[in-house]
Amino acid sequence: MAVTSFETLNASNIATTKTLLHESIPLTGTIVSGTYSDNNIKNYTHGQFQSVYDYPYLSSSANHIFDITIGYDESSSLSGSANVTQNAKKINMYNQFSQVLLGFTGSANNVRKFELDLLLDEVGVMNESIFLNFSRLITKDQIKKGTFSITLGTGSWSGPFANTKTLTDVSASDTRGTANTFGGDYGELYSTDNVVRGIVFYQAGIAILSTSSFDGVTDFYSASAGTSSIAQTFVSSSITASCDALRHRLQNITFNNTTEINSSIYFCRVPHNKYNHSANPTYVSSSTIRVKSVNTDTPVAYITTVGLYSADNQLMAMAKLSEPLKKDPTNEITLRVRLDY
Amino acid sequence: MAFLDNSGDIILDAVLTDEGRRRMAQGTFGITKFALGDDEIDYGLYNKNHPSGSAYYDLEILQTPVFEAYTQINAGITYGLLPNTATDLLYLPRAKVNELATLPVNLISTYGGVFYVRDTSGDGSVTIVDRLGSTVDSTDGTINPSSRFVLFETGLDTGFDAVPVGTSANRTSYLVANNLVDTTFYVFFDSRLFSGIQGAAAGSTFANNGTSNTFNGTMTLASGTPASLDIGIANYSSNRVVAATNEIYQTTSNNTEQSYSVIGGPRANVGAIAPVVKAGLDAEYTLYGSTGVSISGLSGTYDIIDTTIYVQGSIVTLQIPFRIVRVRT
Repeated sequence: MAVTSFETLNASNIATTKTLLHESIPLTGTIVSGTYSDNNIKNYTHGQFQSVYDYPYLSSSANHIFDITIGYDESSSLSGSANVTQNAKKINMYNQFSQVLLGFTGSANNVRKFELDLLLDEVGVMNESIFLNFSRLITKDQIKKGTFSITLGTGSWSGPFANTKTLTDVSASDTRGTANTFGGDYGELYSTDNVVRGIVFYQAGIAILSTSSFDGVTDFYSASAGTSSIAQTFVSSSITASCDALRHRLQNITFNNTTEINSSIYFCRVPHNKYNHSANPTYVSSSTIRVKSVNTDTPVAYITTVGLYSADNQLMAMAKLSEPLKKDPTNEITLRVRLDY
Repeated sequence: MAFLDNSGDIILDAVLTDEGRRRMAQGTFGITKFALGDDEIDYGLYNKNHPSGSAYYDLEILQTPVFEAYTQINAGITYGLLPNTATDLLYLPRAKVNELATLPVNLISTYGGVFYVRDTSGDGSVTIVDRLGSTVDSTDGTINPSSRFVLFETGLDTGFDAVPVGTSANRTSYLVANNLVDTTFYVFFDSRLFSGIQGAAAGSTFANNGTSNTFNGTMTLASGTPASLDIGIANYSSNRVVAATNEIYQTTSNNTEQSYSVIGGPRANVGAIAPVVKAGLDAEYTLYGSTGVSISGLSGTYDIIDTTIYVQGSIVTLQIPFRIVRVRT
């Protein structure tokens, strides 16, 4: 039946609020390399990036968790090397990230270069980079500032985790330690020796690592042709092979994501002298109210549901109580009904 | 010193209904009022004779498990709590269908548990009127002020001769004074099958103040007014129909109230329902009903559609089963 008894909600009965919900996201290196024998790693014929899933990607249960790619600026010394593999694509990848996250600069509209600081003053530029793009599924609205951590193996190819380097955005917080660009806020990734080795864009969910993270690692990659440093790998190996090398050295990634929940709270005020009777057919027996013996008895009804209606009496949202709530003329109730968006 | 109990108000999480989501997509979402429901509650569990006292009367009711919120609007609040401010009410009205053959108005009775509505679209050499004859009561199914109708009454049905009795004074004190008399009713019907509803015409009378307290009234029909109230059932529309004052009273000599009324107590109003069959019903019989069926007591075969019409006042509700019928062979 249609409800015909309503209480009006005016502006003073409605409040809005914002809630931030955080989840801890641990990505262990064994998923990235090992657990599923790389059946959870998807490579593409275009060869521009590599996708990592949390389960063999041919399964419908698999979730995409992040992509990996590498690139360098065209001014990088690597692009001028002889016999560079996928040179144009590596430059294109770098430019794509930089133009979206940093935009263009100068009268010639050159793309900005990533920098290992927050100044964007073309000092301390990061000409060669590794890009980790995290899926919206796990970053939700953004990565929580000050929670990002990535541990890289800097040992030999055969024992990459004999030495490790952990990069964290230790100086970033909601109020300081970040810079704002077209790609949103970004913070610096410090290694344990307090040197910036990369940056992380929180809203975009992108971590950008400098190749300096692997300085001193002579066998960053090992293939049938032999071993190579990260610079040699960027030059002579494909993007896919470079991504494989990085995954081989990825021990752990953790961060907290953030979901922003906007809520409207409707204060449903039930006056003491109203809603003490019910149209429920069981409320009467032979037209006599069951909860009363004589007319001086206090009427009582029990609330189980609150319906929120539009001006034209359409049910827009409904809230249920966990248990029946007794309503009689001796109590006045305020039901706070929250609707999340 | 114990901590102060600050659980005075309650936070509930609401879920959007299908209609709410649709309006959000359209950009027309807005909430301006609320209503309270108690559909899960069986007030028959209220035990006024509990040996431990009044604190235990509602023990079972308070333990009633509550369903999760639905997203379909027709699964929302069916009846709802009432805003009446009077605290001294002991009685609330109900609605009943009146099928008394002793009542000299054009009312119809059920046949096989349903009320029949005629559809003449199957008429040929033999008509549906001929077939139903005097065996099956039925309404015309057309706009006709003189059509037969389903009659319903509202009032305090406490039982004939039980307190309060059905006098004029009690009608005033128990019903009128407490604003429990509905002068109009919403009638919800399947708009795929019916084009509208005829209700009691303004000026209809219903009384037992004739000679020796015999019936003295006239009930004619008038088309209901289309209404925007939504029952929440797909394809249902609503009409608003007026009600006539129910002036069947208990009288001191030759008390005729039981001959004319099914409400045993102070009576509020009386209404009529005569649905108008939508023109051109044909495929609907296959889609929503049955074709070529036999009806007990009648010769030939028929196409039928069974449907329910809902009548709603501010407190009372009524579900009336109807069967649209036409001649098949």
